[in-house]
Amino acid sequence: MRVAFVGKGGAGKSSIAGTFSRLLARRGERVLAIDSDPMPGLAFSLGVDRSDAGIPDVAIEECVIDGRNTFRLRSGLSAEEAVLRYADVGPDGVLLLQLGKARGVRGENAGSHQAFQHVVEGVPDHGWSIVGDLPAGTRQPFFGWGRFARTVVVVVEPTPASLLSGRRLARLAGMPSAPRLVAVASKTRSLGDAELVRDGTGLPVIGTVPFDTSVSDGDREGAALLDQTPKAAAVAAIDELVSTLINEEEQP
Amino acid sequence: MKVAVVGKGGSGKTTTSAVLARTFARSGLATLALDCDTNPNLGLSLGYGEEATEKLVGVRQALDTGEEGHAGSMIELIDRFGVDGPDGVRLAIVSAIENPEPGCPCCGVSPERLLADMDSVEGVVVADFEAGLGTIIRMGDDPVDVVVIVAEPTAKSLEVARRAADLVKERGLGRVIVAANRVRDADDLARVRSVLPDLEVSSIPDEPAITRAERNGVAPLDSAPDAAGVRALVELGERVLSSPISA
Repeated sequence: MRVAFVGKGGAGKSSIAGTFSRLLARRGERVLAIDSDPMPGLAFSLGVDRSDAGIPDVAIEECVIDGRNTFRLRSGLSAEEAVLRYADVGPDGVLLLQLGKARGVRGENAGSHQAFQHVVEGVPDHGWSIVGDLPAGTRQPFFGWGRFARTVVVVVEPTPASLLSGRRLARLAGMPSAPRLVAVASKTRSLGDAELVRDGTGLPVIGTVPFDTSVSDGDREGAALLDQTPKAAAVAAIDELVSTLINEEEQP
Repeated sequence: MKVAVVGKGGSGKTTTSAVLARTFARSGLATLALDCDTNPNLGLSLGYGEEATEKLVGVRQALDTGEEGHAGSMIELIDRFGVDGPDGVRLAIVSAIENPEPGCPCCGVSPERLLADMDSVEGVVVADFEAGLGTIIRMGDDPVDVVVIVAEPTAKSLEVARRAADLVKERGLGRVIVAANRVRDADDLARVRSVLPDLEVSSIPDEPAITRAERNGVAPLDSAPDAAGVRALVELGERVLSSPISA
């Protein structure tokens, strides 16, 4: 499975992506969870100790592609090896790879960022599931950071601001080699909310994660939802989402 | 005066920016609300309505599509593409990224360049930043007057707030006021203070009326002006205008 979660800030992307990764791993998949937000977030939702580690400088080399100076993984180091070496191992065996976190002046970690993209796009299809958590808004998704994904899930709250963001993100479907684009209704409080999301974004709604105070309580503690309240309604909903996406990816 | 509003996505930056801008305008100051998010929603919180907000054009896109043939100064651009709204606040969007694979948003018109060029501006500019720290990092050493860091009492939100506060302090980017948002009890406020010690903190209570306003796409100042959370945001605005007090 290769899935990327996108959406407006605060919609629930990290909480869903982190829980989703672990529930998928519990079904026997080898899961690489990737956080391309320069601010840490997914680590909390996975239950991984805070770490800022990206791809270190020793694993990166400068090169020239199409006449432009850029960076890539050091020659001889495959994407898969880089993952095994530099990803953190989290609960349920989920591997977490993070973008080199924001530091110093602009561009200081451009090498790490480009190497990160090389790794994500270079991990072999066979034997790996990738779950990506992209930063809030349209910037990264529209610049191709979700290219690894076969399915892009837009996480949408039933609010006008979140729906507007969802409508903008729905334009990803117009990209060359467009991924399959679907929505998940997040923090729903009534049965009509999923319909609001469907009508407001024009996307098929493949799952609904109800508003659940265990999520905000866990966020306050910085604890993973799955460790804090494994029986929460939100966990059951995300587990159902795992089933749905597994079934859909199995279809031709 | 220039005020930047920063924080994690979903922490309440846009709602805060909107109430601040309208509070300044009501006190008689010429106020520009600058939506620096490439996924711009500030119009909703200011009370422009859904349809108008979705149709607003970013200054940068106006340049790209050639609607603005000869770009004058940034200030002229904002005069031309800004839209007046409730309480006389003028709203301008810097750069909406509307389509996959557009031009580089870092080049040309950018929030940090606009802000740096605004030294001669009279009145107040309230800049609602994009989620995270990207814009602060790109500001270099060009300061604003006040940086409002909006922080929920959650681990993720406080992590972003702590990094923002460090950057602002390190580079001398402005006076920091923390808006501790969605505070439910004394524990929540203590959580914020422990991560961000020695900073001015305004406590904004968790406010169902603001959640309702967001669900309805209206400005909290219009739908619930007397709600405790909205009043706290108005007081934050008054604090921003006042001289610093010790924390």
